[in-house]
Amino acid sequence: MTNKRIIHQPIQPEIQELAAEYGNDSESILSILTRLQELHGSLSPEIITDAARALSVPAHQAYGMATFYSMLFLEPRKQIVHVCDGPVCWTKNAAATHKAIEAIANDDWTVERASCLGLCDSAPAVLVNNEQAGPVLPEDAAKLLEGWRGTPNGYTTPRKGEVRAMMANAGKVDPKSIDSALEHGAYDGLKKALGMTPEAVVAVVDASGLQGRGGAGFPVGRKWKFVAQARNTPKYVICNADESEPLIFKDRVLIETNPHQILAGMAIAGYACGASEAFIYIRGEYAAQARLLEGAIEQAEEKGWLGDNIQGSGFSFHVHVHRGAGAYICGEETALIESLEGKRGEPRLRPPYPPTAGYRGLPTLVNNVESFAAAANIVRNGADWWRSLSDYETPGTKLYILLGPVENPGLFEAPFGLTLRQIIDEFGGGMLPGSEFRCALTGGAAGTIVDETLLDVPIDYASGSRYGISLGAGAFMVCDQTTSPVALLQVLLHFFAAESCGKCTPCRVGTWRSKEILTRMVNGQGQPGDVEELKALADHMQSASFCGLGQSAGVPMNSAIQHFAQAFEKAANG
Amino acid sequence: MTVNITINGQKIQAQPEQTILEAAREHGINIPTLCYHKDLSPTGNCRICMVDVKGARFLQAACATQVWEGMEIETHGEKSIVSRKMTLEMMLANHPVDCLTCEANGDCELQDLAYEYRVEVPEWGTKGTHYPVDSDPNPFIFVDFNKCILCRRCVQACAEIQVRDVWGVAQRGFDETIVAGADTTMLEARCESCGQCVAYCPTGALTSKISRGLGRAPQVTKVTTTCTYCGVGCQLDLNVKDGKVIGVTSNPDAPVNGMALCVKGRYGWDFIHHPDRLTKPLVRQYLLSDQPKPKGKLGEWVEVDWDTALDITARKLSHARDTFGPDSVGILTSAKCLNEENYLMNKFARQVVGTNNIDHCARL
Ligand SMILES: Cc1cc2nc3c(=O)[nH]c(=O)nc-3n(C[C@H](O)[C@H](O)[C@H](O)COP(=O)(O)O)c2cc1C
Ligand code: SF4
Ligand code: SF4
Ligand code: SF4
Ligand code: FES
Repeated sequence: MTNKRIIHQPIQPEIQELAAEYGNDSESILSILTRLQELHGSLSPEIITDAARALSVPAHQAYGMATFYSMLFLEPRKQIVHVCDGPVCWTKNAAATHKAIEAIANDDWTVERASCLGLCDSAPAVLVNNEQAGPVLPEDAAKLLEGWRGTPNGYTTPRKGEVRAMMANAGKVDPKSIDSALEHGAYDGLKKALGMTPEAVVAVVDASGLQGRGGAGFPVGRKWKFVAQARNTPKYVICNADESEPLIFKDRVLIETNPHQILAGMAIAGYACGASEAFIYIRGEYAAQARLLEGAIEQAEEKGWLGDNIQGSGFSFHVHVHRGAGAYICGEETALIESLEGKRGEPRLRPPYPPTAGYRGLPTLVNNVESFAAAANIVRNGADWWRSLSDYETPGTKLYILLGPVENPGLFEAPFGLTLRQIIDEFGGGMLPGSEFRCALTGGAAGTIVDETLLDVPIDYASGSRYGISLGAGAFMVCDQTTSPVALLQVLLHFFAAESCGKCTPCRVGTWRSKEILTRMVNGQGQPGDVEELKALADHMQSASFCGLGQSAGVPMNSAIQHFAQAFEKAANG
Repeated sequence: MTVNITINGQKIQAQPEQTILEAAREHGINIPTLCYHKDLSPTGNCRICMVDVKGARFLQAACATQVWEGMEIETHGEKSIVSRKMTLEMMLANHPVDCLTCEANGDCELQDLAYEYRVEVPEWGTKGTHYPVDSDPNPFIFVDFNKCILCRRCVQACAEIQVRDVWGVAQRGFDETIVAGADTTMLEARCESCGQCVAYCPTGALTSKISRGLGRAPQVTKVTTTCTYCGVGCQLDLNVKDGKVIGVTSNPDAPVNGMALCVKGRYGWDFIHHPDRLTKPLVRQYLLSDQPKPKGKLGEWVEVDWDTALDITARKLSHARDTFGPDSVGILTSAKCLNEENYLMNKFARQVVGTNNIDHCARL
């Protein structure tokens, strides 16, 4: 009946030493748990408790994390295959791939589902012990377990109609070599910025009209100004590379093609805002991309483009790569900051917003990877250049992702204001023979499901609320007559239910309940009243959830039901 | 400086740092809450307090939204009511409806809100019993997480008031649950059994194990009194049923301790009606007849009046002092005594007996 047993047991020396390696810093708990899991094959309550004690945090905090992040686990495993069950992989029959791998895997292997892996252009995608692979068809299962990983896409040649700024050097720059990046002027923007006042740098970004690329389109210059004007110090810069929303993989491509462009953008932001320390929060599933960034940072430090006293300017800027461990919600900026601080990735109450009180309660700039990449080019070439890239009211270019049964899916860069028809026909080469447009999921999983009535609306950050077709992070998944909008919505709600952090009631229960109803409907067991309940759930999640995840889960629900009322009624009433 | 706001058409002057909830409550306007408690920092988890703010795209959590100049708020507009009903339904969907036998019946914030908003368990309440009932061996605290609404007040009470950090949140989404430590027992997770978490739990998820089945809130009379255990002087409510104390609950208005109590004050009340409790002075038979102390068995205890008992004590103390010297006497006082009583004992030891041999149980 006493608690002496726990208190007087010494912490296992191995854990003690590991913690010491990280300076017993409680913020390193995620890294330490990940390392311990690698060593032991899994985590146990004893390991977790000792790790917590070594870092002087409550045991529940470490346990709460171990059970929060999907890449941490308590059941022993040797080798793991994660098969994506995101919407794109679903249309490519990833379920068959899953079964095929299970069928041939021996007892050393665990085969599990995963939420969208950010490899939608290689669907069906899998992770083999954290190595990315795809497309993996059922017949590739044996090869896969023997080390075959498929062929990644390069995006080195622009397609017709593309305007490339952030992708301009894709294929020209060797992402592993800073010399190659320097030849292409990777740090020219930073060099230019260091010769200006920080205020002037903010002014250039502000004048460019650049809008944040994480999905919400908040003006980047204005955010930089908030951070620059915040009184408390030190300040921090965070690059949001969590990219866990189904359909989205543009930040991965930016990292893979030109990592120094992103680092330069971050350093420029640091100089403009008065920050000397920065983090790249990258989703745990992007292990290869994290290594690429770490290598780039090391080289940049060697060449004096990062680190102390950059090019003798007196400005220092240190960038750390922080790996997530499987949680979509960690893309939400306050959840990201919680995660960075060594906690469960649950969003914070706002205000205060990160520019006032973010990481460690201090002024923090959070921008998306693409935002930093754009900023690097804007400072290098000027605001006018950025505006000259397009005649559309939203300046500059955007990375687009096109998926589904079109001739030429993938990623491209183009100005704003494209219509869905242009995206499909002009950039995607039209629908595949035999495929007819039925619906599209636009923006991302948290976007809108639209029918052909919205094919000709110019899409930008305002078109979502204005016309009901959202841009989000710029992804478009086109579906043909073989895809039922009800089934598509079920897959999305499966995602939201799996990724809801659980903090607030409407999202925690609402995503789960919506998924339950939709699953029934898809299985031919719909009931009268299902559609009304789905609508009520969508409205409730939208208006009462704590954060953007729950609020946006209602968006695809409401738009799908609006555009495909008949299909939903039919599924409900059998 | 004040901020002018309007709540339900009523013009109100609020303080700039106030939340909508604080301003409303100050003016007698009721907004329901579950995860909020005035002693704990606001979290905005439960979403029951959502109100309509003119111009805002979504409903706003009254407990966590600060007022601003010109803010117009509807606390019971149609949108808020619909939202609250749905939130309650979601909570009830994962909640066994056994109010008939539930300890918290009549003292349950969830039950009160379900009543006020006329919400029943939805037909789809399918999660059912998910956790073992009485899942923790703590001797004082009965844990039934089937009744938990995940408001996290227990987590906060333990962290912010008791500073023990026993409870935490594990898993995510629909599987989210409250755990002690790394899913151990409460005691292994450093619990002191203070019962703060029980006091702040709005439902029947955390209740007193030792009061179980003895009587529920509507059946008891609360007698506010001061804890007898120590000099802090915490106030508490004895829960009395049929002339018997069947439990102790916090009295939120307690000036010294608020809702907080320690394990002794909250759970150490069984002595009150215990058969072994001394309620009258007892002395050994031989002391009454002025016989010498017998060898071996000391003989029977005899009930006497206070004068007799004190006379014997005085006689024996004087005898010891006179025969063996003042330092042969030692005095130990109790934290259950008042400061004044302890002071008197100190005087008694040093001036009457003439020894410095005096100590106090709080030092042990
Ligand atoms: C559930 C959720 C997930 C998000 N995921 C991402 C993400 O993966 N990457 C990202 O840049 N922004 C994401 N965001 C948006 C961020 O909160 C934040 O607005 C963004 O990083 C700001 O950068 P920007 O201004 O450059 O767009 C997400 C938001 C929500 C609500
Ligand atoms: S809406 Fe609520 S439960 Fe959903 S992710 Fe946000 S805070 Fe968590
Ligand atoms: S009884 Fe006290 S110490 Fe134990 S969990 Fe509850 S609040 Fe924490
Ligand atoms: S146990 Fe009680 S206080 Fe804790 S989260 Fe559940 S309902 Fe809230
Ligand atoms: S009382 Fe406001 S969200 Fe729970």
